[in-house]
Amino acid sequence: MTRRWIALVTICVVAACRRAQPGDPLPGLSAAERARFDSGRAVFDSAFTPQVGLGPLFNASRCGECHEDPVTGANGDEVEHHATVFHPERAGAMCDELADKGGPVFQDSVTPLLHAALGIDREPRPPVVTTVAGRSTPDVFGFGLLDAVPDSVILSYADPDDRNHDGISGRPNRFFDGRLGRFGRKALVPTLREFNDGAFQVEIGITNPSVPVEGTVAGDSLPAGTDPAPDPEIGARGLELADAFVRLLAPPAPLKQSREASRGRDVFARVGCTACHVPTLRTGDNPIPALRHKEVAAYTDLLLHDMGPKLADICFGLATPSEFRTEPLMGMRLVTHFLHDGRAKTPEEAIELHAGEGSRARDLFRALPVADRAALVAFLKTL
Amino acid sequence: MLRVTLLLFASLVASFALAAQQPTAPHDSVRGAIRTVDVRARTLEVTTGVGFALRIVRLQVPAGVPITDRKAGQPDSIGLAQLKPGDVVRATFGGRRTGFVAYVIERLGRMTTGVDSTP
Repeated sequence: MTRRWIALVTICVVAACRRAQPGDPLPGLSAAERARFDSGRAVFDSAFTPQVGLGPLFNASRCGECHEDPVTGANGDEVEHHATVFHPERAGAMCDELADKGGPVFQDSVTPLLHAALGIDREPRPPVVTTVAGRSTPDVFGFGLLDAVPDSVILSYADPDDRNHDGISGRPNRFFDGRLGRFGRKALVPTLREFNDGAFQVEIGITNPSVPVEGTVAGDSLPAGTDPAPDPEIGARGLELADAFVRLLAPPAPLKQSREASRGRDVFARVGCTACHVPTLRTGDNPIPALRHKEVAAYTDLLLHDMGPKLADICFGLATPSEFRTEPLMGMRLVTHFLHDGRAKTPEEAIELHAGEGSRARDLFRALPVADRAALVAFLKTL
Repeated sequence: MLRVTLLLFASLVASFALAAQQPTAPHDSVRGAIRTVDVRARTLEVTTGVGFALRIVRLQVPAGVPITDRKAGQPDSIGLAQLKPGDVVRATFGGRRTGFVAYVIERLGRMTTGVDSTP
C-alpha cells in the first residue's frame, strides 16, 4: 500500500514539475477548458476543401498547414505576401491598406473553380501596389497571455519622443477604430479573437460569423458559381474552439540554462536588447484563471520600433514601412527562420540585420568578445 | 374617374419616391477610420474590418445628417468638411438602392492618438 502511495505521489510530483512542452496547454486549466483546447486543436488542424468553403482565394487549407513545425501551433516555413501603399504626404492617413481591394493579404492559391473562371493561380496585385512584403509563419505559443496583457502595461513602455534619450522610441500601433494594436508583425490587431477570426477568411477563405462575407479578387467580386459553399462556412462554435486552442496554448518553458546561457542572459541585457525585448509582461484580470495575473516571459514590448531602411517593407495602420513590432522571443529555440520575412537563417544574422533603433544594441553585440556573443546566442537558444 | 386615377398614380409615385429615401436594409453601424471625405459628393469612406480582413464602407451623407464630435463627453455639432482622413468615427447607416446612407456620424477621436477600447 505504502509503495503504491509513493508511486502515486512521485507521478504527481513529476507531472507538476514537468515543463510545458511545445504544443502543451497552459497549466492549471479546468477540465472544461482542457476539453475546449483539445476540440479546438482538432478545428485548427481540420482541412477545408472547396466543397466546404475553402477559398476561392487562400494561402492554406487549414491553420495547422502553416503553424506546424515541430507541433501544431508552432512556426512554419511558408512565407505569404502582403501589400499596402505608403503615402507619406498624407498626414494622419499615410497608409492605404488596400481595404477596397480586399485588404493587404494577397493569397497565393486559388480553387479549381476560380482558376477555371479567371485563369489565375493566385490573387493578382493591383497596379497601385509598389511594395510587396513577405511574412513568415510565426508560432502562436503564449498568444493568449499576450492578449491578456492590459493596454496600460504596453503603453507604459511607449516613449514615442524618446524622452529618456536612450535611442529607443517605441510607439503603439492602432486599429482603425482607435484601439491599441498588438498582434501581427506591425501590431495592428487589438485582440487575439479578431486576429483568429480574420485569419479564417484571409488565410483559408472561410467565412464565419465575424467575417461573413467572402473576399474579393483584388477588389473585384468573385465570379458567379466559384464559391458554392453557403456562408458562413464555419459556425460560431468552430470559431470559438479554434480561438480557445490558440488562446490556451502555453509558451514553451525555457530550457535549463547552462552557465554560458546564464551569462548570455546578462549580456543580452547589457547590450540593450531588453529595451525592446522586455523580458516579462504581466497579464491583468481575465475570466480564465490560467491567464489571470501571470508573468509571461515574452521578450517583447508589443510596440513599434524603427528597424531601419534595409528591413523596411509595407506600412500598416500607423506603422511606417520601417517600423515593426518587437518580435516575441518565447519559443525562439524552435524557430529556424528569423525576422518578419524569414530572411535570417541564424539568430546572429537576425541581430546583424537590426538597424534604426536596434543599431546601438547591434553595434554593441558586434563589439563583444567572441565568447560573449556565443553566450548571448546560447541564451536565445534556451527560450 | 380620371381624378381617382390621377390620385392613385400620384400616390404610387409618392410611395416609390418615399421608398427610395427609406433604407431597404436594417440599420447597421460601423466604427473605423475615415479613408476619404468628398465634401462635394457628400460621401465618406471608412476603413474597418476584423483582424486582417479589412473592408471599406462607403457612405452617402445627405445634408442634415447629424455629425457630432465627442469631446469631453459633450458632443459638438460639426460639418462634413471638418471630418478628415484618420478620424475615428462611429456611424449608423442603412442600405438604399444607391448604396449605404448615413443616419448619424460621431467623431470619436484620431487614430493617431487612439480611442478608448470600448468597441
